[in-house]
Formats: sequence, structure tokens, C-alpha cells
Amino acid sequence: MRKKKERLGSGLCHIYLIILSVIAFFPLVWVLLSSVKSAGELTSNPTRFLPKHFTMGNFIHVIQDLGFTKNISNSLIIALSTTFIAIIVSCMAAYGIVRFFPKLGNIMSKALVATYLFPPILLAIPYSLAMARAGLTNTRLGLVITYLSFSVPYAVWMLVGFFKTVPIGIEEAARVDGANKFQVFVKVVIPLVLPGIVATAIYTFINAWNEFLYSLILINSSDMMTVSVALRSLQGAEILDWGDMMAASTMVVIPSVVFFMFIQNKIAGGMTEGAVK
Amino acid sequence: MKNKRKQFDYVRWIFVLPALVIVGVLLIYPIFSSLYYSMTTKHLIKPAYDFIGLANYQAVLTDPEFFQAFFTSIIWTVCSLTGQILIGFTSALAINRVKHGKGVYRTLMIIPWAFPTIVIALSWKWILNGVSGFLPNLLVQLGICGTLPQFLSDNSMVFITLIFINIWFGAPMIMVNVLSALQTIPQDQYEAAQIDGASHFQQFYHITMPHIKVVVGLLIVLRTIWIFNNFDIIYLITGGGPADLTTTVPIYAYNMGWGTKMLGKSSAVTMLLLLFLLLICVVYFTILAKWEKEDK
Repeated sequence: MRKKKERLGSGLCHIYLIILSVIAFFPLVWVLLSSVKSAGELTSNPTRFLPKHFTMGNFIHVIQDLGFTKNISNSLIIALSTTFIAIIVSCMAAYGIVRFFPKLGNIMSKALVATYLFPPILLAIPYSLAMARAGLTNTRLGLVITYLSFSVPYAVWMLVGFFKTVPIGIEEAARVDGANKFQVFVKVVIPLVLPGIVATAIYTFINAWNEFLYSLILINSSDMMTVSVALRSLQGAEILDWGDMMAASTMVVIPSVVFFMFIQNKIAGGMTEGAVK
Repeated sequence: MKNKRKQFDYVRWIFVLPALVIVGVLLIYPIFSSLYYSMTTKHLIKPAYDFIGLANYQAVLTDPEFFQAFFTSIIWTVCSLTGQILIGFTSALAINRVKHGKGVYRTLMIIPWAFPTIVIALSWKWILNGVSGFLPNLLVQLGICGTLPQFLSDNSMVFITLIFINIWFGAPMIMVNVLSALQTIPQDQYEAAQIDGASHFQQFYHITMPHIKVVVGLLIVLRTIWIFNNFDIIYLITGGGPADLTTTVPIYAYNMGWGTKMLGKSSAVTMLLLLFLLLICVVYFTILAKWEKEDK
């Protein structure tokens, strides 16, 4: 009796999970499928799944005529620079908090969590004024600076969780051998936490790549636009071409999804652990 | 000896200094800057402005449109959060329960989390498109709807649709975090409870809940803040329309700052938003601290 009930329960779980998986997964599939259909097919056959005629025309149009590669390279440069700076700064800070400020560190990481509270729309106003004054409106540098505002607290928060796992004994052994604090940090601690650092770096990259509000406010020349803003301006164009938009969307969403797959196991612990402790 | 100690202090500060500077310059300074601008007539383009004290706050707090936006924000947050927690929580329990396919379900269901907001907006706008969208056409073909439903422009459906999309995006994060908390629960506690003849519900209530309470509580805090502050999803899908029906406080503040170009007044709105969130957090953290104490 019990076993039968157990099996029924597990069957219901599977049905529930299959339904949710389909809903979760469908938009990605639909974007990919729509990106390789012709404009005619998209409108004449809205519910047909597989393309009748496979075409790369949308991609070619987006890349060659709309200059989307320019936007991709802007976003890449901005996201990579943000990640590079944020990770160096955050690794040092996370290690410093864990190792040198055990008591104060708790307050520091709580303060970092508190920055999560600040509405991006609130920060957007001073940023846009300050960037205009500094002559950084419409520059990649301006965006990298504003992106650090959310990347650094988040990365420190995640990294604190990873650095906590390093046993102090290993560091002390290196210290006895005559290494100074920086040498211990770079040669002993960093290699031990590397998988966590890579995961944090990828997460930072994805967030910078996906960002929208600040690039909407700080960038208005089409040469400097990031992918998010460029995609939005595509939508504002006179003729709504869904094939083009889905091709461009594919190019934006695929890197995010693929990178996310790599770090999905690491990301769960890092986020709540850093804060709960 | 004394000298050595001094050097020690100096090195450890080097580690945390860059991050502190970034947080100070990029997060603390703007708050004060906004506070100042919120008491001025600062304009997006015109350089001259005056100090006017609390007049902006007075203007905002007597504007019925602000309260409309505030009310919309509350509904948006409560509905989205409830849905996200419900779906995220139940799917985590279900994945934890099944024996096969855990990894596949988890991987498929995590995908929305990776979506850039602009692609969330475009993909759903395309799927729900009132002319050639997949879902409206499917519903008509199946005979469920007589005419193509206008999910994103029909006044009675647009808000619910937005909330659905927000749940779609946010539930995976809850799911992943709850799932990882569930996996830290020692299995022998369940075995012991089964020997004692505890029902599924009793096991859930006495073993599962106490273990994940704090994580879930924290997730609720973080998600509340995030949803309340969220600007992109609504802005990119409906832009606050139709007829301001989906204008939340961040959208209202944006329209004031970049639409009518009154940055001073817009700053006042965002300061009120921060104040409200602070208030919520104090309440939440009081409850969380109580829970954590109970655990010990």
C-alpha cells in the first residue's frame, strides 16, 4: 500500500516537473526556431514548430546591414573589463574580510548586502549627472564604472563563501616557509579557491552582459550601444521584423545560457551561504 | 614588536580598501547626492537649479498618480513574489523527491534565470503577439478562444501576463536555492522519523521546514527588494502602459526624470522608494533574527 502511494506521488512529481520544464524551456526554443525562419513563414504559419525552409537570412541581415557585431563587441569589452576589475578587487576584499577582519568582516558583508537595497533607478540619476560632468556619457569606460556598483558587492558576497572553505593551516605552513601575505594570497589561497572564482567571474560577466537600465541612460549614440539597448532600438524601428529580432536575441541569449550551464552547481551555495552566516 | 604590529594593520587594509572605495564612491555617495537633488529643482538639461527644501516631496505625496504607481508596485510585488515562492518551492521539493532526471529538470528549469531582460521581453512579446504569436494562434486553433487574445494590450490581461512572466523569470532562483538547502538536511533524520511512523506532512513540518526556514526567509527578503526595484521587465514589455495600468514606482520615477526631465522631483520619488524598502527590511530582519534565535 505504502509503496503504491509512493509511486503515485513520484509520478505526480514527474508530471508537475515536466510541465514546468516545458514552460521554462519554451521561450528559448521558440527564439531559436524563429531566428531561422523567413519573415513570410513567421506570419503565415504562427504555430508551426520546425522551419519549412531553414534560412540564415535573418542573421546575415542583422550582422551585415544592422551592424550588430559592433554592439556585440561593445558589450563584450564592457562586460569583460567589468569582470576583470570586479574580480581582482572582490577577491582581495573577500579574502581580507575572511582572514583579517573576522569580527568587522561580518558587519562589512552585511553592509554589502544592504547595498542590494538601493534602487538602481535611484542610483541612475546621480550616475547620469556625474558621468555627464566627467565627460563619460556615451563611453564604455563610463558604463564599466557604473557596472562595478552592482558587480563588486555581489562578487564579494559570493567569494566570501568560497574563501571561508580554505583551512588556515595551509596558509600558516606557507607563512612559516617565509612567504609574505600577498605571496600566500596569490600562490596558495587563489589556486585553492579558483573554481569558485571562475564561477563568480562568469556570473559577474553574465550580469554585465545582460544589464539594461544604466546603458539606456548613459548611452545614446548607436556606435556605443550595448546589445540590450541596440536590441530595444531594433524594436522601435518602423518595420517590426520579428525574424531579425529573434536572430539578434539568439546571439545575445546564447552566451548567457551556455555560461550559466557551467556554473549552475556553484551558484546555489554561494549566494545564500555568504549572507546566512 | 610594536612596529611589526603597525605594518600588519596596514597590509590587511590594503586588501579591503579598493572594494571599500568602490562601494563608498558608487553606492554611498550617490545616496547623499540624490538626497540633495531631491530638495532642488534640478533639471535633466538646464544647468541652473534652486534649493527648495521639501517641496518636491510635498508635490509627489499629493500626486494621485504616485499613489496609483505605489499601489501597482505593491500588487506587482506581492503577486510575483507569492507565485515565485510557490512555484520555486514546490518544484524544489518535487526535484528532491524524484529518483530519476533530477539534473535534467534542474538544468531545463534554470534557463529563465540566465535570460537578459531584453530577451525576456522580446521572446514573450513574440510568443504572445496578438497577430502572429504562437500562443494566441494555438488557443484559437484549439478552439479555446474565439478571437486572438491580446495578452499585452488588453487592459484586463496585461498585468496578469506581466506577473506570469516575472514568475517565469524568478522562480528558478528560488528553486535552486531551496534545493541546495534541502540537500543539506541529514537523511537519517527522515529515516528515524519513518521508523517512528511520522507521515509525510509531519516529516515536512518537523524536519524540512525548520532546516530551510532561514534560507527561504532570506530569499523572500532579497526577492521583495529585487521585484519592487525592478524597472526593466515592465519597461521593456509594456513601458508602463496601456494607460499607465502597469506603471510601478520605478517606471513613474523614470518617466519623471527622463520623460518630463524633472530630476529633482524624480530623486524625491526614488528616495521615498528607498525609505519604503528600508522599512520593509527592518520588519523582515526582525522576524528573521527571531527565527535564527529559535534555531539555536
